Amino acid sequence: MPTLHLAELTFANRPAQLPLLSRLADILAASPAVTHLLVRGSLAHGTADRLSDVDFVVGVQDADLPAFVGSLDDLMSVEAGALLPGWRDTIVADLGGVGMVFLVPDEGHLHQIDLYVAPASRVPRLRATVATAVLLDREPALAPAEGTAVAERFAAEFLARPRTCAELLIEHLVLAVLLHKRIKRGQRFVAYSEWHRLHTATKDLIKTALVPASRFWGWYQLREEIALTPIGRACLGDLEAAIGGPAVPSAADVDAAVERTLSLVERACPEAMSGLEDAITAYRTYLEQM
Amino acid sequence: MDTLTALAGQIAQLDTVDPAQLERMRHEALTAQAPWKAEYSAYQSGGWWTTSLMNASGDAADVTIGDCAAQPTDLLTRMPATAALLTELGLNYMWVRLARLEPNAFLWEHRDYDELDQVERHRLHIPLHTNTSAFLVTGGAKVHMTGGRIWRLTPTYAHGVCNLLGPDRIHLIADVYADDTYRRLARRPMLHPGSAEPLPVAGPAVIAERLQAARAMADLGYADAAERMLLRLFYTYALPEGAVYDLIAELHTSLGNEEAVTRWTTAKRRLLALTA
Repeated sequence: MPTLHLAELTFANRPAQLPLLSRLADILAASPAVTHLLVRGSLAHGTADRLSDVDFVVGVQDADLPAFVGSLDDLMSVEAGALLPGWRDTIVADLGGVGMVFLVPDEGHLHQIDLYVAPASRVPRLRATVATAVLLDREPALAPAEGTAVAERFAAEFLARPRTCAELLIEHLVLAVLLHKRIKRGQRFVAYSEWHRLHTATKDLIKTALVPASRFWGWYQLREEIALTPIGRACLGDLEAAIGGPAVPSAADVDAAVERTLSLVERACPEAMSGLEDAITAYRTYLEQM
Repeated sequence: MDTLTALAGQIAQLDTVDPAQLERMRHEALTAQAPWKAEYSAYQSGGWWTTSLMNASGDAADVTIGDCAAQPTDLLTRMPATAALLTELGLNYMWVRLARLEPNAFLWEHRDYDELDQVERHRLHIPLHTNTSAFLVTGGAKVHMTGGRIWRLTPTYAHGVCNLLGPDRIHLIADVYADDTYRRLARRPMLHPGSAEPLPVAGPAVIAERLQAARAMADLGYADAAERMLLRLFYTYALPEGAVYDLIAELHTSLGNEEAVTRWTTAKRRLLALTA
């Protein structure tokens, strides 16, 4: 049996995201507060394509969870070049921590980076339920009971905090990237689900901007509360346009939704755009290259 | 002297470049198989690449600066639109290169030394591929060098350059000797009022908040990231010269790291060419 030299071929066929994954792992692992770095999703299972997201579970010392999450936007902006502050992931399952999604340019393309930050005390349970590849497994310092309580309280408060207009704008921008990926892959059912999420985010954005103390739940009584002023009527007109589209969007529908959202923000809560102007310009450029 | 007049002495727009020719040059710069060389120095973050179009050796991979009568490199011979523009300008070139600044790359606040002989020379930029988050900061204002023009940089003030978000910024940079052709090109330097945007002033509360955020990062073990976060403030706020270096020293003082305080105090003197 001759010896085949497959190393070069294997290297050439490695996932395109691997250098980025490696760079992010180096960044995150620099902190002694980080106890675990796990990769999940398609990159862990060997099923990644060029659009696959980089999906990390980051275990941190329980007591450090608030400080770590508090520094994450700055860290990802400075070290990874994240385009926008992280989006608080409302899709990910609750595994005792908090999920954040960042958009990071690399090699001319925008990549979705999912970081699920979990207290170290929850990592063993998480590993029992979620298939992961382990990059780092450091023995955590003995977690005192109060550290665990700090982490639990922080995660609960973090997830319960109402979202700001800026956060809801970022949610639209992240969901649009996800949708472009679904459309390219032909994942129609997932696209349907995320398209509905995008409309819900539009509804939430309008309510947060125009009736932050709404007395009604979800989609109820929108007209009665909002269509009282020209701005309110224009915003509901945008929402009508959004939900009047197809159930599964095309790429052009997604682009139109992004532009509609940006106009809505300019009209109803322009302060949400403050400091994000260049990021949105760059976002549009990268979206064209997706 | 108003801000714009002061800035015009630092950075000025000269002639326009024909849009169709510029588009061909942009295509060449984005597609040519160029031997890009990474530049490393104390005053930048990484992500700064250059390749030579004209230099002393004629080798595109040779990116050392020096007085010479520059000759075209093999790379320039494969870029006909770019070569045509350089010929058409008819300048006395010392060095012509392509410079690529990646997203999230910075040339930190610094002041250039005049390291070469005292021969009158000028640095010209022709933006080929750029974006609004790529800009130069000097005198508390940011200037985005838009495409379509030849720009002249004579930065005697402390200045810095960044490409915050990308995509890549690619400029053709030509160092030229002053002669009659150059003087004709530079006969009417101007800086369009819309080109320079004053940065907001950072109040004490903003500075205190950013310093606290840096301290939180350093406490987590991300001291290098904390330093870079403070260095980036130069691109967000109008700050007194060298203030970002002072803030880093202050951060390390609060951490009790005397070695780092000394290192950054020395770096400030070197990067800003301060004598004292």
